[in-house]
Amino acid sequence: MDVKGEQDEYDVVVVGAGFGGPVAARKCAEAGLKTLMLERGEKAGEKVISGLTIPFYGFLFGPQFIRDGNPPVERPVDGIINYIIRDIETGDIDIDDSLKIPKPLSPVLAFGYNAYCQPFCEWEADKAVESGAEFRTSTAVTGVIKENGRVKGVVTDGSERIGSKIVIDAEGSQGLLAISAGVREKYTPDVISLADVYDYEMKKEDVDRIFGHSIRFCWGWDEQGLAPPLGYGNGLMVWPYRGSIHWIQDECVRISDGQTPNLVKDFEGYHRNITSQLPWWREEVAPRVSLRAHIFDTFEIYVGLDERLRNMPNHADGMILIGDAAGLESTALCDGVPAAWFSADIAADVAMEAVKAGDTSASFLKRYDDRIKAHPIIQWSITSRERYDLRRAQASHDERELKRCVHNGWGLGGFNHMSTPLVRIILDSIAEDPSIIASWVLMYCRYYYNWAHERFDGRGGRAEGSPAAQTAGQRAFRKTYEITDRVLERLDAPIKRLASLLAHLSPAANPMMKTLLPLIEPVYCFLIRFLEPLTDPLSRKLVEFVENADPAIFNVAKRK
Amino acid sequence: MKRVSEQFPGVEWVEGAGEFIQIDADKCNACANCVKVCLAGCYEISKKKARIKSLDECMECAACWYACTEGAIGFSWPPGGTGYRSDWG
Ligand SMILES: Cc1cc2nc3c(=O)[nH]c(=O)nc-3n(C[C@H](O)[C@H](O)[C@H](O)COP(=O)(O)OP(=O)(O)OC[C@H]3O[C@@H](n4cnc5c(N)ncnc54)[C@H](O)[C@@H]3O)c2cc1C
Repeated sequence: MDVKGEQDEYDVVVVGAGFGGPVAARKCAEAGLKTLMLERGEKAGEKVISGLTIPFYGFLFGPQFIRDGNPPVERPVDGIINYIIRDIETGDIDIDDSLKIPKPLSPVLAFGYNAYCQPFCEWEADKAVESGAEFRTSTAVTGVIKENGRVKGVVTDGSERIGSKIVIDAEGSQGLLAISAGVREKYTPDVISLADVYDYEMKKEDVDRIFGHSIRFCWGWDEQGLAPPLGYGNGLMVWPYRGSIHWIQDECVRISDGQTPNLVKDFEGYHRNITSQLPWWREEVAPRVSLRAHIFDTFEIYVGLDERLRNMPNHADGMILIGDAAGLESTALCDGVPAAWFSADIAADVAMEAVKAGDTSASFLKRYDDRIKAHPIIQWSITSRERYDLRRAQASHDERELKRCVHNGWGLGGFNHMSTPLVRIILDSIAEDPSIIASWVLMYCRYYYNWAHERFDGRGGRAEGSPAAQTAGQRAFRKTYEITDRVLERLDAPIKRLASLLAHLSPAANPMMKTLLPLIEPVYCFLIRFLEPLTDPLSRKLVEFVENADPAIFNVAKRK
Repeated sequence: MKRVSEQFPGVEWVEGAGEFIQIDADKCNACANCVKVCLAGCYEISKKKARIKSLDECMECAACWYACTEGAIGFSWPPGGTGYRSDWG
């Protein structure tokens, strides 16, 4: 193969078209940087394996084109039902379903969106191409070009040398390129978990009836043999999709005392035990599913908890690592997509600044790591200890401790630790652009509409913008949006000032929730149940309104 | 050309991946960590060394590479456009 000259053919080369890469590529290309994205798969996302619930914060505070667009999602989710299995034989199971968006807001207002990786990543990659990024698939990057210690481009498996001012490494958790470039070390097996994933087809009506919009998690004592040892992975997690469900368990590649578990035997046993014994699986789910796929992959569930690994630099001369390549997978919810999006956005900003300044040195690119470290959601999500602390619950076999960890990790108790970062990022976002509030409302409606009609960027659903189809209610909705948007625009400066001021108070949110939650929670849970006869029909009305609307009313208006 | 496998429905393997995982026999101490973590059954122990039986069902997860404490496993990606793919990840 010919070896081309590599004198800065590109401003930016992005390695990998999973969840993060296309976001960086799109933003760089939009800003006019000459951008190339390389993916080793034949298509974007076909080598990415995931859960997958992408939590709301990824959509609300992440890349604008995703928030204001029509990405392909499989189902909005409104909460988590945790089963704490005390004795599976006698069916002695506790339920913690406290983390749930209340009706009538749910399910239009969602906690997150479930998706398959391949179509979602491909949708993102298409957006990058629309913005002018070049995209080459079936191309594995085998190394970086280095000159005097500086990264100057990449080498592909076809021995092609491609010069670039900056390489944005979005290669995912294994980090082969980052390691070979000497930016970071290989992650240790105790922070890596192997996930065993099954995808089952199920009629949509059955998914609607049995799962609705809730994810289900199962936790149990180690000796039951139903799930990986507590704190060394995840118990059973079941994700409802449109006409299918995803079944996941994962276990660390190294567990206590430096042991490598026999994962082949373990997973085989967990799957057999749980599918044959868990009452709701055996009775409700099993008769209605057929296996479609069995896949597996590793992910970096505890990198953030290891101070040394967490503090390894994610930049070098001419190179920036984002997403899983940078170890940004969440340690509690095991979500990595939001952090991949946030870091891709930041990396693109830094790349633009560097190219403009003509300085791609490590000392310039350090601002990328500084911004990652200052990002409220990223830092919270990679240092949360709830899942890890399940080890202590097992060691003491203390049921109260087990329930406390589950409640704090995947129940309402999460607000004890996520309130500060959430308040902070909400206020920061408003301080940057108050009109984002209106975009959030439109996003929820548009995403629900799209889901209901399987309409993703014009494919499927109803034709856009036929004003005749708009009812008085829809016109009123649109009018309200336009007025709100205008008011937000008028009051831009004072809202920005107020939001910045209030943002300083965000550190008080966690301690406040810690004090108040034990008092509020019982009342809140009671009210939710008590008001159900009222909120249920309202929720249906909201769904009906959104489903029957002309989708054009949910589009974000382009400001002049 | 794409291959499928009965054990792992919903997955395709595009031919041409070659030998993208290698074992350094000098470093291998036959601890069998690779055998224990490989859900695709790519490894076996033979004559006190780990050996790759077949990469036919490898999903490129790298669990073997993480689990090998001796650094005996050399892991790289198969050439672009080959190896594992799935629509259901
Ligand atoms: C079982 C499982 C469950 C998960 N559940 C969730 C969840 O519920 N919610 C959530 O938010 N996250 C979840 N995650 C994490 C999430 O999938 C990742 O955090 C996310 O995919 C990271 O995005 P990324 O862009 O950094 O890397 P990836 O999405 O992994 O993309 C990397 C891309 O780079 C390509 N590539 C790699 N090396 C090269 C190379 N040398 N040359 C060319 N291309 C290359 C790959 O083919 C791939 O397309 C889960 C992960 C797993 C494994």
